[in-house]
Amino acid sequence: MSHDWYSDFVNSGFGRAVAGNVGLPPVPKLRRWQPGQPLLSGAALLGTATADGRVAKVVRAVLADAGVEVHEDPAAPIGGGSSSSKVAAAVLDATGLSSPRDLAAVQQFLTPVMRRVGPSGRILVIGDVPAQAERPAVRAARRSLEGLVRSAAKEARYGATVNLVHVADGAENDLESTLRFFLSSRSAFVDGQRLDVGTVPGYAGSSAGTDWEHPVTGKVAVVTGAARGIGRTVAQTLARDGATVVAVDVPSAGDALAHTANDVGGTALQLDITSDGAGEAILEHCRRHGGIDIVVHNAGITRDKLLANQDTDRWNSVIDVNLNSQLAINDLLLASSDDDGFHRGGRIVTVSSMAGIAGNRGQTSYGASKAGVIGLVEATAPLLADKDATINAVAPGFIETAMTAAMPVGTREAGRRLSSLTQGGLPIDVAETIAWFAQGASYAINGQVLRVDGQNYLGA
Amino acid sequence: MASPRRAAVVGANRIPFARSNGAYARASNQDMLTAALDGLVARFGLTEERMGEVVAGAVLKHSRDFNLTREAVLGSRLSAATPTYDVQQACGTGLEAAILVANKIALGQIEVGIAGGVDTTSDAPIAVNDDLREVLLEANRAKSTAGVVKALAGLRPGQLVPEIPANREPRTGMAMGEHAAITAAHWGVERTAQDELTARSHQNLAKAYDAGFFDDLMTPFLGLTKDNNLRADSTAEKLGKLKPVFFPAGGDKAEATMTAGNSTPLTDGAATVLLASDEWAAERGLPVLAHLVDAETAAVDYVHGDEGLLMAPAYAVPRLLERNGLTLQDFDFYEIHEAFASTVLATLAAWESPQFCKERLGLDAPLGSIDRGKLNVHGSSLAAGHPFAATGARIVPTLAKTIHQNGGGRGLISICAAGGQGVVAILEA
Amino acid sequence: MPTETLDSAPTLGALYGRALLTARSGGSTLPDRTLELVNATIDADAVADYAHVCGFRVGGELPITYPHMLAFPLQMRLMTDREFPLPAPGMVHLRNVITQQRPLAVGEPLVVRVHAERLVAHPKGAQVDLVSTVGLPDEEAAWHSRSTYFVRGASAEEPTDAAPPEPEPHVGDRPHAVWTVPGDIGRRYAAVSGDVNPIHVNGLAAKAFGMPGTIAHGMWSKARVLAALAGRTDEAVTVDAVFRSPLRIPSKAFLYTAATKDGWDAALRSKKGKDHLLLTVRPAS
Repeated sequence: MSHDWYSDFVNSGFGRAVAGNVGLPPVPKLRRWQPGQPLLSGAALLGTATADGRVAKVVRAVLADAGVEVHEDPAAPIGGGSSSSKVAAAVLDATGLSSPRDLAAVQQFLTPVMRRVGPSGRILVIGDVPAQAERPAVRAARRSLEGLVRSAAKEARYGATVNLVHVADGAENDLESTLRFFLSSRSAFVDGQRLDVGTVPGYAGSSAGTDWEHPVTGKVAVVTGAARGIGRTVAQTLARDGATVVAVDVPSAGDALAHTANDVGGTALQLDITSDGAGEAILEHCRRHGGIDIVVHNAGITRDKLLANQDTDRWNSVIDVNLNSQLAINDLLLASSDDDGFHRGGRIVTVSSMAGIAGNRGQTSYGASKAGVIGLVEATAPLLADKDATINAVAPGFIETAMTAAMPVGTREAGRRLSSLTQGGLPIDVAETIAWFAQGASYAINGQVLRVDGQNYLGA
Repeated sequence: MASPRRAAVVGANRIPFARSNGAYARASNQDMLTAALDGLVARFGLTEERMGEVVAGAVLKHSRDFNLTREAVLGSRLSAATPTYDVQQACGTGLEAAILVANKIALGQIEVGIAGGVDTTSDAPIAVNDDLREVLLEANRAKSTAGVVKALAGLRPGQLVPEIPANREPRTGMAMGEHAAITAAHWGVERTAQDELTARSHQNLAKAYDAGFFDDLMTPFLGLTKDNNLRADSTAEKLGKLKPVFFPAGGDKAEATMTAGNSTPLTDGAATVLLASDEWAAERGLPVLAHLVDAETAAVDYVHGDEGLLMAPAYAVPRLLERNGLTLQDFDFYEIHEAFASTVLATLAAWESPQFCKERLGLDAPLGSIDRGKLNVHGSSLAAGHPFAATGARIVPTLAKTIHQNGGGRGLISICAAGGQGVVAILEA
Repeated sequence: MPTETLDSAPTLGALYGRALLTARSGGSTLPDRTLELVNATIDADAVADYAHVCGFRVGGELPITYPHMLAFPLQMRLMTDREFPLPAPGMVHLRNVITQQRPLAVGEPLVVRVHAERLVAHPKGAQVDLVSTVGLPDEEAAWHSRSTYFVRGASAEEPTDAAPPEPEPHVGDRPHAVWTVPGDIGRRYAAVSGDVNPIHVNGLAAKAFGMPGTIAHGMWSKARVLAALAGRTDEAVTVDAVFRSPLRIPSKAFLYTAATKDGWDAALRSKKGKDHLLLTVRPAS
């Protein structure tokens, strides 16, 4: 980061010495995905917490398919090294917990692991869905994992992340895209988070035959707000992953939008998404591509004002762009034809925000709209299940963009530093998460909201 | 008149038009044409695609821009294997380019092409005057250094005054506005009618912007998102307060009716239009806005022949109508280029005049009047401005989209051009 | 490294004057500070002037080499300091590597940062790298550049690390363009860039610094080559250029280009086939 003074300072020789002495957190350089990069840069440890674990087999198969060296005895020496040599990832099958007493096995696996995962390492815990347990002891044990993982994420160092996946009963064979995302460097800025897989019933799909280097090959993806910033990065990422991109933005941003579209070899659609007929215009434009597979609702605006000074015009403009436009477009997508409209098995990904989860001073309208997005996702998910489609949201935290440039220095520095990864994220981190939700192979992930915030300490 | 097939108007892109020496003062024709092409490429996903042909032109051109269109294509995102050529038919350039592309498509020689036009009066080529030109050419021909020195020694300060190209007819020495003023006086075109037509042009263009009509016809450039000549609050009353600027030569000052308001300003801009066969469009799932049915050009002897400089379309249209078995009233929309408000009104008056239609056109009955509610419904050059060669490439897609939105219909385009020429065409869907 | 924030862009003419007139103490270590200019304003007219001189299109986005216009005054400010270990006048640009993540646009509130590093020995003197970044205030450097400058006869310690390998374009032996480089290109580029280094504008001064005569700015030739590739390159690219034998002006120069799997190779050569400039365009690294 060019202007991250703190980062520059801490990473200088002198700075490292000072930072070490006074306990300032180091700023690790996160490993990020590049084409051709292997799933993991080293070996992986695989553990099971109970004899009833039901996902270890699947994890083993996925890792083997990705060519990862897997060790199941945490004490065994690895790669000619010792039993304390570094591993790139550790995965724990923590399904089948019957009481909080079983958590000890989780601790016994993770304790050595915390020291053994290398820089930008991955610790992934897979548990059962608490809500699917009726007995208090079982549910308590399952729920405990979340507190454990969120806390462990705050202890992990050097860019390592710790995340939790809840897998619904019967969904153990539907984990592949999730495992690949959380283990790869595509999830660089996702830390201390929980994701549920297979919790919305009636899903259908397959990850068989997926080209993991280009997982959205042949898909048509609509990205709103694509002229600049995160939207532009999303367009580039989806194009990189194989999609034909329809880049949408307001007509006044058409110049930059045309650059985005030409850069990714897609098409540009100048459109005010709050206008009447915006949804029809998108469907109409995409008929030339044979319909739509992926819609990324990225367009959003802020009109920050303290609530005490708020006026209704500003308020409405934020709600209209950030929320009502999405509702209207989704209604049309749902009603459209499978043939040349929103295809069966389609994906909607929308952008919420930390402001919608934790709130933010001066952002009552923005926060309201972004919390509304979460409600939209929860309610739309079961509707889409009939179309074998999904809807999910990312909630970015502090991402280094032009928008954050407007923040006062103190807030900005706090935003960067008060995360488990001790830095701000990049637009690509949000884009990678969106592109993962957009994969056909992510068919079992529906109704989820995933924070891409490096486990920011602010608010929630 | 059966043709093998009709060329389809598929879509378009232009940059907003800017008043001279304003937003685009530093942009060249090539810069603007390339920007317009790149916007079209983005709209239709034509990155690295080879077009059958790109045909465009500019009225005011630097000598280095002899291959302007080719240079623009080479700098654009289109395939470098796209052939091009330049055309120049004054203000008819853009429409003539569209006709040429459409004809090749109709004949099956190409499947898809782009027509366009661009002009800048801000970055106009400045020529040396004839005296200096003689000296420089002589110096260039000199075989020795001494010869060069001798040739250049003859230079006088007065010879260094550059010649800035003027919007003037070489054979009459009169500005186009002065010619139009004569025509206006001849036809007795009222000042108030001109101002009303002008105000309607601004109001119609403003409404079109508000309705998002140009969202898929335009891409912003250099910070401009709308034609900056547009005055949405324009009224005939306000326009009525302006002083006349063009006077009919040898006429009465009292006859002067033409102001800076009811005449088009000098404008910079570029426009492009994508034409293709129906098959090409269908393969790509692109809707056809309209087809180019037929076209006609005409010229009048404005020098010695007692006809107005900008009256050629009055002759071209009846020939086009006759060939297609149509009357002037058989159209749902009319796009008559507003070089000057008086030009539009004089042309309409001519078609209504039994005497003109009989004596000049050889018709038994006048062509008659048109429903003015169908004229330039999304505004025209008085409001948008008029970068000479670009105007035709603005009007073709505007009319095509108007017909498409109407669910079908027929439209007439009429464009007058310097040199006493006119280019007219029929679109249909 | 501490940061010194400037109120306004330094004036280059004055810096050259200072460099020529001020007695230098010539320290042995590089200044341990980063120069920063916030809210660098980009004048659309200046961009148009630059585009005209270098052959770029005029548009809303900056030519990839344009941010160098913002960084160069800061580089000169660092290098004309009394304590700077190498003398600025007569300095020769050996190499310039630009990585652009996205094109910058006119009107963006940009931050320019420049620092010096890697002062090392060169077989015939000493060289130093000036690293510049330009981007929005909190953006990961949208534009990053490393310029290597050389001073004949100066001394510095031997490098401990190897410089990254130089670009090796493969362009074949048939030129794709012949340039007639006018004699006033140095003066015109100096006017738009402010780089009034006398070797580019005055024959006598150039000879005084050991040049064969007035030479074109290396960054002009790089810009001109990239302008020739307009519309054919991606937006997120790394452009690595080494400047070889100086391009005397006026002269003819021959441009060789070749498309590669993921970018472009180019060379600018003299009539006799001497390399003036070797350049590669690759995806941004």
